[in-house]
Amino acid sequence: MKGAVSIRGAVKVYDPERSQVVALDGLDLDIAPGEFCAVVGPSGCGKTTLLNAIAGFDTLTSGSITLDGQTIAEPDRSAPPGADRIVVFQNGALFPWRSVLWNVTCGPVMQKRMGRAEATERASALLARVGMQGSDDKYPGELSGGQRRRVEIVRALMNDPSVLLLDEPFRALDALTKSVMQEYLTELLVEVPKTVFFITHDLEEAIFLGDKVVALTSRPGRIRQVVPVSLEKPRRHTVLTSPEFLAIKATLSGAIHEEARRAFVYGERELA
Amino acid sequence: MALDVLQAAPTAAETKKGLGVRQLFNRHFNLLIGTMSVGGTLLLWQYARALGIPGLAFVDPPTAIIAASADLLQSATFWTACYKRFIRISIGFVLAQLIGIPLGLLMAANRFAFNTVFPITEILRPVPPVAWIPIAIIFWPTREMSTIFIVFLGAFWIVLLNTIGGASTIDPAYRRAALSLGSSRWHLFRYIIFPATLPSIVTGMVVGMGICWEMVVAAEMIAGDTGLGYLLWQSFEINATAQVIVCMIAIGIAGFASSALISRLARLLTPWIAER
Amino acid sequence: MSAAPATSVNARQTVSAGHSRLVALVQGLLGLAAFFLLWWLLVDVYGVWRFRQLPKLTASVREWLSPNPTYGISLYTQEYYKHLFSSIKRVAIAFCLAVSLGILVGVLSGWSRWFRAVVFPLLEVARPIPILAWIPLVLLLAPGRETAVITLTFLAAFFITTLNTMLGIKSIDEVYFRAARSLGFSEWAILRHVVVPGALPYIFVGLQIAMAACWFSLVASEIVSGTAGLGYKIWEAYYYVQFETMTIMMVTLGICGYLSSSLVRRVGNWLMRWRGSMLKGMAR
Repeated sequence: MKGAVSIRGAVKVYDPERSQVVALDGLDLDIAPGEFCAVVGPSGCGKTTLLNAIAGFDTLTSGSITLDGQTIAEPDRSAPPGADRIVVFQNGALFPWRSVLWNVTCGPVMQKRMGRAEATERASALLARVGMQGSDDKYPGELSGGQRRRVEIVRALMNDPSVLLLDEPFRALDALTKSVMQEYLTELLVEVPKTVFFITHDLEEAIFLGDKVVALTSRPGRIRQVVPVSLEKPRRHTVLTSPEFLAIKATLSGAIHEEARRAFVYGERELA
Repeated sequence: MALDVLQAAPTAAETKKGLGVRQLFNRHFNLLIGTMSVGGTLLLWQYARALGIPGLAFVDPPTAIIAASADLLQSATFWTACYKRFIRISIGFVLAQLIGIPLGLLMAANRFAFNTVFPITEILRPVPPVAWIPIAIIFWPTREMSTIFIVFLGAFWIVLLNTIGGASTIDPAYRRAALSLGSSRWHLFRYIIFPATLPSIVTGMVVGMGICWEMVVAAEMIAGDTGLGYLLWQSFEINATAQVIVCMIAIGIAGFASSALISRLARLLTPWIAER
Repeated sequence: MSAAPATSVNARQTVSAGHSRLVALVQGLLGLAAFFLLWWLLVDVYGVWRFRQLPKLTASVREWLSPNPTYGISLYTQEYYKHLFSSIKRVAIAFCLAVSLGILVGVLSGWSRWFRAVVFPLLEVARPIPILAWIPLVLLLAPGRETAVITLTFLAAFFITTLNTMLGIKSIDEVYFRAARSLGFSEWAILRHVVVPGALPYIFVGLQIAMAACWFSLVASEIVSGTAGLGYKIWEAYYYVQFETMTIMMVTLGICGYLSSSLVRRVGNWLMRWRGSMLKGMAR
């Protein structure tokens, strides 16, 4: 199993000559292969910055990130974005001008890892697994929000990434669709285990999905608390009211809420 | 990595600030290369004759043009021409707004008005205003009026379309909100419908101004007896190529200035629209 | 209209879609009829003020449809079609050239900093100059009249297409580029599968405008320096006081313009059928 992520002393300072915004202030984090690491924190706490650094869209000012022993981020240098660290974006990035099938198979086919026929077969199987069978030839514009998210997750998984990066993927969904999507995700990951780095605002979502929950402080981002979650998988929505769940929530919610208030007072605006 | 400005993910080199030559180069990249490019073209033009480049050789080199422009700028004909043209455009443009905006609003508000008038506009619009010139000359008593008419026509279609487009896409939520707050019909129009349509109208004005310029030149060249367009044509007929270029540049600059003016006005009228 | 929003919504709901379309059609015809009626009355019948001097509706229609027209131009004559095709040919050549070059330059400018920095200033300097102001220059430089006319028509469409292509590329949400890189697309693949399809909506809006600009420049340059074609004929007819012919040519011009814009729009809608479900397409 691949996907061991190791973050050491991650610091990110934006605009070092003038405003000197410190997004991350020395983070140390380890994610074991196959682990689902959920990062929670208020807006502006640096979680997206961290994700971008792992993905290769941004660089760190100091510190390092390694993936399976290979350095993927150093001060001012990042490995370019690739399929081994694939991202599922917040507002969706399915190509609207291509069919669902094309979207899902383009990765492996472009990288020449699979032939078109093989990719199509695997894609159809995965799409059926998330309840999207028969939608191969539809355009993303014809799908609902929840459907698009499912397709995008399938697209990510088709690329067999070392680590799957999810940037608040369910944020734009209504609460009911969101809870269904969360269940889909856990089931899918039981079948296709992956190392996952997941960021969210929603504490319950983090506990429901994660093997461990990392709580970040408001800006500048530091790790405030790390709590393991050992509820059995795949998790059902019934677990949301179980005593174990509520106990974990109790240990974290005080800290999270405090950070949220601090961020609010400092006027952190939502970076949509 | 491709030097692709669209990918905003900053590479290390681009994010480094500092006073090194490399950094200065990166920061003022566009300006430097742009100047070199325009300068290079000018140089090529200057020595076109010597280098035996066909075509360009027929046209007077930039130095002659600068000399000619010095002459021209001092002549009264030039400035009267500019002035006259300014008047024409203003009148035509304003008329187009005065007639186009109310008509557009009416058509957007009233289904009957829209259904009856729209087909006529769809038929008349594809005929380029230039083709209307003969009719304009026949119909209007003076050349001046016909020129203004052509300018008017050019802008009119744009204004009309933009107004209709803007007014018909007002979110019904605004109307409902206003009505539930107890607004009268006039109130509704003045504070809800009109401001909501303004961005479209204003876009129409900006585009319309550009079209006006094209029209004015056309009308002047073909049917006018004064004005920069006419001057341009005259210079051509007497083979004063330098003057031709100067006129072109003058027209271009004036057009650019008026567009900038309208854009400024646009921003004033709709301060709530964020700059993209 | 004060309580109108509520009542008109109800009214519309009670009338079926087909019915309202029929109503629209009838009203449209009514409007057109009123227009022609007005024309006929003002010009043919009463000759009010300067309307007297305008070409008469009846005479023009009669001329257009007659097998043996007084001035040699009607639906039945060779010469009519000669001018028509001459203009169409020029627009076709100029438009195709402008589109290919325009999109190429636009895409390259959006793609490469270097290219853009070199080309953009030149474009910005040339663009404010109205197309017609180029006429003298182009006439001087071009080897022949035909080339000159085509070049002018080309220029107008070219600037518009290039600008719209660049705008289109700029409008593509950055997230698509990121997704493409994550998925391992090569630079060429990004160009082909992200840049071009993403910019297409803007490009097509530009193409419709460019088509209108083509006709505009064509007519103007034909008037000034042509030897055949719709624009040329309009002017000649005016010169020789053959007003009916002039009207015929103007109407023909209008039809051509309308059909060509419509064609461009249809091609665009077909190429971008993925949009149909997402948002109501732009009607223009």
